[in-house]
Amino acid sequence: MADLEERRPERGRKPGERIVRIVRPKDFRVAGKRRYELTEHALVPETRFGRAVQAIRRVLIGRPLRSEAETLERVSKKVGLALFAPDNITSSAYATEEIMRVLALAGIAALNLTEPMTAAVIAVLAIVIVSEIRVIHAYPQGGGSYQVASENLGMFPGLLAGSALLIDYTLTIAVSTAAGVAALSSAFPPLHEHRVLYAIGLIAVVWLANLRGVRESGLLFAGPTYLYLASYVALVGYGAFLTITSGLPAYEAPPAWVAFYEGSAEPLAAFLILRAFSSGAVALTGVEAIGNSVPAFKKPEPRNASITLVVMGICFAFIFGGLSVIGGALNIVPDPKEAETVNSQITRTLIGVGPFYYLIQSITALLLLFAANTSFSGFPRLASILARDRFLPRQFAFRGDRLAYSTGIGAVAVLSCAILAAFGGSVTRLIPLYTIGVFVAFTLSQAGLVRRWWRLRNRYWRLSIGLNTFGAAVTGIVAVIVAVTKFEFGAWMVLVAMPILVAVFYGIHRHYQSVEDALALDATPQVEAVQPVVVVPVSRIDRAAVRALSFAKGLSADVRAVHITDDEDEAKHLEQRFEQLIPGVKLETLISPYRALLGPLQSYLDAIDRGDPRRPITVVLAEFVPRHWWEYALHNQTALRIKLALFFRPNTVVIDVPYHLEDEERHR
Amino acid sequence: MKAKRILLALAGAAIDTDVVRLAALIAKPNKAQIEALHVIEVQWNRPLDADLTEDEVRAEQLLEAAEQVARSAGVALETEYVAARTAWSAIVHEAEQRSVDLIIIGMPYRRRMGRVAVGRTVQNVFVSAPCEVIAVRERAHA
Repeated sequence: MADLEERRPERGRKPGERIVRIVRPKDFRVAGKRRYELTEHALVPETRFGRAVQAIRRVLIGRPLRSEAETLERVSKKVGLALFAPDNITSSAYATEEIMRVLALAGIAALNLTEPMTAAVIAVLAIVIVSEIRVIHAYPQGGGSYQVASENLGMFPGLLAGSALLIDYTLTIAVSTAAGVAALSSAFPPLHEHRVLYAIGLIAVVWLANLRGVRESGLLFAGPTYLYLASYVALVGYGAFLTITSGLPAYEAPPAWVAFYEGSAEPLAAFLILRAFSSGAVALTGVEAIGNSVPAFKKPEPRNASITLVVMGICFAFIFGGLSVIGGALNIVPDPKEAETVNSQITRTLIGVGPFYYLIQSITALLLLFAANTSFSGFPRLASILARDRFLPRQFAFRGDRLAYSTGIGAVAVLSCAILAAFGGSVTRLIPLYTIGVFVAFTLSQAGLVRRWWRLRNRYWRLSIGLNTFGAAVTGIVAVIVAVTKFEFGAWMVLVAMPILVAVFYGIHRHYQSVEDALALDATPQVEAVQPVVVVPVSRIDRAAVRALSFAKGLSADVRAVHITDDEDEAKHLEQRFEQLIPGVKLETLISPYRALLGPLQSYLDAIDRGDPRRPITVVLAEFVPRHWWEYALHNQTALRIKLALFFRPNTVVIDVPYHLEDEERHR
Repeated sequence: MKAKRILLALAGAAIDTDVVRLAALIAKPNKAQIEALHVIEVQWNRPLDADLTEDEVRAEQLLEAAEQVARSAGVALETEYVAARTAWSAIVHEAEQRSVDLIIIGMPYRRRMGRVAVGRTVQNVFVSAPCEVIAVRERAHA
């Protein structure tokens, strides 16, 4: 029989007939023998204020979901492309511009190098995709760089990859929302002035959507992703058509922009070229999203994921390459104030400001938000894995009402907002921080795979080693180039942050390890009754004190009431009354001439401890609870002060015996 | 039909879903209260207060399923289960106690000797109920 339920026998309709009414609490349902399951009713707060807060939460976040509501949605290649590609594909919204911005520092003529830089980035992308396909086949269960590196290279390389990825996810959100706002402000210039506020507002929207547990639903994502692809493919195609037929329309950069770049032109050194290349390397962000999500694909998962990855690479290369070529052919000059994006200038020059222009700008902004959303699911997932492995606080592994990792989602939202604000919402200022984490993670994951193939030596292991060694070498070199060329522009922050994060992860891990060692059970744990010394601080003899003393007597035979006072006459009076009214309990009085309360109590407990250190001390506090919250201000909160003072005292249990005014009314 | 209080007798059969949907259809215009009852029939060789955990778990599940159907139909459902020797007497007893205006009961499609069989529970509820009764028969199996 279930213990929480009540059985009420009743007479039936006819003599001798009986029924048993089974009344169970609304908060629980019977789930088995002595097993109960919490119902949604249990989540309803008791106070009006609590219910109001819950109502607001329901509107914003939605109703809580049951754990079993989580199902893995298997997606086709088409839907997979829509779900996992936005992070990478949307890099085309700013990659060309970032190359141009660096080259323009050497004067407008240096912009001619945009196309070769684009070609170099696309070549690296191809190498990374080929290497990533090996990751997909090696880890069909979804192998993020953290897992691949820690499994094959050890804990510290794994943590380095983890820290790089967490930084990368945070920066993806900051960069994508900043670029999204830039796309919108190109079409609607008044937005530019308060771009940080708008970007933070967009992050808040994505944060709320993720707290609601927005699954990257195929239908939601497919439309905008394919519309983005179609729009840009059409734009590039139209540009190519014009080039072949009538020639591209004339573009004239505002003279102020040209003067800006020409006025401060640096020599076109190898360093600047490498810096331009590393700025364009942002195009490789988001490539790992498919490799991390292989189990989400329909069978055969590795094959479908690989094909999707290749298609993503081709689409991206076409758009990125096309925009760079057209931008170069038009002699586009990037706006020094970042008010209008290069893509916007290309679109405006080719087709003019019309519905298609606004469509492209809007869909770019929307898809950049989707790219931010990819990181909003990636960061909490990785943080939860790190928390599960005890490298991050456990809170990161807990799932909220809607099965989302709320702590991770909140953390990445706050961090990305802070970064956005610190960098004034400027994509160009954020980019130097961005790519380094991605390439560190790529390099570690590729190196991990080399080690894995060497260990397993399965079919085609030589080919696999060759591919991944080449991938590791290329991504490693790019990582070094990015670190060196962008060091002074912000990459140093990431280079400093990564080892700090690794040290923090390791410190947390050591803490959890030591706690586990301390709490580990012996082979046969003994549960024995231990009689504590129970101390009841008494300031006066009233109902609350009597209730606390009664409770204390139920705990142990050794109960000591203690009265701390600075008034000897009052002490004598209380001792007499105590002896008369409560003869079964010893009262000890501590005279405190300096009117201190906590010090004498702690000294008293220390003295008991010295007498028998093996016996635990239990302090039972009588606490009066007023009817209304504001009445607390009228009482001196002694019990609360004692609780706080004894919170960290070893070998001490503090028990609060509340006395509610309602209790008194019930007794009458 | 102006029922203000409707009692649903649920047995955990497939027809329960239709019973709840029909109740929602009737209840919505009248803003009627719907109460779902499941009776755990206890055999005569066991005491009524015997350990019924397995039956209770099943009762909880079928009432939870009914609540979900009701929620999707846009109505609230109060649920309860009782233990009794015969389901029909408990249903009629509850209908009397709660002064309901209508009982809706599901009738699984069964054939016996070439004819559709009406179970003992449905028959007795029809005969003894103090209020109107609707029996929803399950569709014939193909």
